[in-house]
Amino acid sequence: MAIHAGAPRRSTLAPGDQAKLDDLRARLADLKDEPGATLEALYAAQEVFSYVPPEAVTMIAEELSLPESEVFGVLTFYTMFHRKPSAKYVLRVCRDLSCHISGAPAVLKALNDELGTRVTEVTEDGLFETESVSCLGLCDLQPAVMVNLEQHGPLDAEKARSLLADLRAREA
Amino acid sequence: MELVVTKNFGNPQSWTLESYRNAGGYQALEKVLNEMTPEDVSELVKESGLSGRGGAFFPTGLKWQFVRSDPKTPRYVVINGDESEPGTYVNRYSLELDPHLMLEGMLIAAYACNATLGYVYIRGEYGLGHERTQAAIREAYEAGYLGQRIMGKDGFDFEVTFRRGAGAYIVGEETALFNSLEGKRGNPRYKPPFPTNVGVWGLPTAINNVETLSAAPAIIENGAEWFQNLGHGEATGTKMYCLSGRVAKPGVHELPLGTTARELIYDYGGGVLDGRPLKGFKPGGASSAALGPEHLDAPLEPRSMAELGTIMGTGGVVVYDDTVCMVDAAYRDALFFEEESCGFCIPCREGTPNLVQILERILHGQGTMDDLDLLEDLGASMMSSFCGLGQFAHQPVRGAVRAFRDEFEAYILGR
Ligand SMILES: Cc1cc2nc3c(=O)[nH]c(=O)nc-3n(C[C@H](O)[C@H](O)[C@H](O)COP(=O)(O)O)c2cc1C
Ligand code: SF4
Ligand code: FES
Repeated sequence: MAIHAGAPRRSTLAPGDQAKLDDLRARLADLKDEPGATLEALYAAQEVFSYVPPEAVTMIAEELSLPESEVFGVLTFYTMFHRKPSAKYVLRVCRDLSCHISGAPAVLKALNDELGTRVTEVTEDGLFETESVSCLGLCDLQPAVMVNLEQHGPLDAEKARSLLADLRAREA
Repeated sequence: MELVVTKNFGNPQSWTLESYRNAGGYQALEKVLNEMTPEDVSELVKESGLSGRGGAFFPTGLKWQFVRSDPKTPRYVVINGDESEPGTYVNRYSLELDPHLMLEGMLIAAYACNATLGYVYIRGEYGLGHERTQAAIREAYEAGYLGQRIMGKDGFDFEVTFRRGAGAYIVGEETALFNSLEGKRGNPRYKPPFPTNVGVWGLPTAINNVETLSAAPAIIENGAEWFQNLGHGEATGTKMYCLSGRVAKPGVHELPLGTTARELIYDYGGGVLDGRPLKGFKPGGASSAALGPEHLDAPLEPRSMAELGTIMGTGGVVVYDDTVCMVDAAYRDALFFEEESCGFCIPCREGTPNLVQILERILHGQGTMDDLDLLEDLGASMMSSFCGLGQFAHQPVRGAVRAFRDEFEAYILGR
């Protein structure tokens, strides 16, 4: 069972995030009457904040009339939800069988070396973080990487570095 | 060879309604609505031998009959597009290249089940699949293939809701998927009752894999016998196999169910990468135990794989060459199941990390011959797990010990 490291349950909001909370409340209005929309509500929070802060959990519980513990339980069950601010580009590197024997460890190392970070650590400019994840269903692109939901592969160390260069160029 | 579920993949803009209709799309549904009763449909699909491509190979027509026979309403049809089994990516292709085919199959299932509501559930990572499936659902509503009085047929109404997952392999298990649809943690539920009687929201539910439903339209159009003849004996129809690992050309190939690994790897996959010797292969995803090259000519279908002590699984064939360490490969499998165990029951929650620890010990040269027996015993105890994840998690490890014992012994004896 994966215990996913995350921030403790204290406020992580920045000054000025009140507007984001208002934005979230507006988005949740559409989900109120839809049964079983907890995951979609958490996605909405993540879209607004880049992660799901404790205040969003409280708000989702209120708006969807659920116990806060249940919302928190759902949040911690699914690996695509973040509990601390996430990077603009989340680089999900597959660690499973087909990718592993096709060179995934070298790809993850090249990305981390180039960024100077460790897995799930966000770069100072807020642009990048790597994740080491279960099979992405991109095994024909082995070793595969997802940049948010964009598919990349097959990669090697060099292609991984040029992927980063391309993403940086997008930002320039 | 006639194609069933990948036939439209090469068409320009194959994922659009226009392209799908140009290829004869939604004509099977029209035939069903005009010429067949719900009983006719489930009987035909039963006769065709179509069985669940999600890996359990349950007879699809029978499932639909069970759902229709339950008096509770509304009844549901759910598409399982959670595909997360390592080495498996066939549903991704269908979702990206032919979402209408699966929707037409869903509508045929809905008619056979007298179902009025449906969900399409796709794993959270399949971004392009989400876009194209959602677009297809919109197009289908606009064209009157979804909604009220579908294709002008009085009394045939069907509403579909699109949902995405958020990263959790276990949610592919059908009852865990229902919990996820209901907005809960994706823990499995006890069976029985089975989904056909107590599914999503406690109502009768036909849950089917993307590929299973995608086969239905062609069966309606061409008949049961046609579909039977595409396969090998009792293994009827085709299967989307996919190749990865140390193979020259990874990719998806729709072939008769019961094609051999030799044909798949050498005729379609270009052989082993760099022409190296084959050490073994997994027949169907991480849950399946690997087989050695002596089994290359066994047909990849459920019965013969069971006879060899493994499973057909998802048809995600992973190729190992002589550079792959089978102890490390087993360790990878164990790590996957440790990560993905939902933690709900003890044999799996405790067993999966134990498998990892024992394999780590062996890999670090600290294992003993007793550890090999321990892996067997631990695996046997995990058979009491609550759901299929824990019941299968140890199979690839035990299978590796049996088929590649010399490699484990080499670590233990320091060779
Ligand atoms: C751990 C586990 C994971 C599963 N994952 C999937 C999956 O990703 N997709 C799928 O279609 N079936 C999956 N299944 C099988 C489903 O429970 C179910 O049998 C299937 O969706 C039924 O559809 P079918 O009869 O068309 O195959 C999984 C089963 C288990 C035990
Ligand atoms: S077997 Fe594993 S995945 Fe299944 S219920 Fe038990 S802990 Fe969860
Ligand atoms: S094993 Fe890496 S994407 Fe499937």
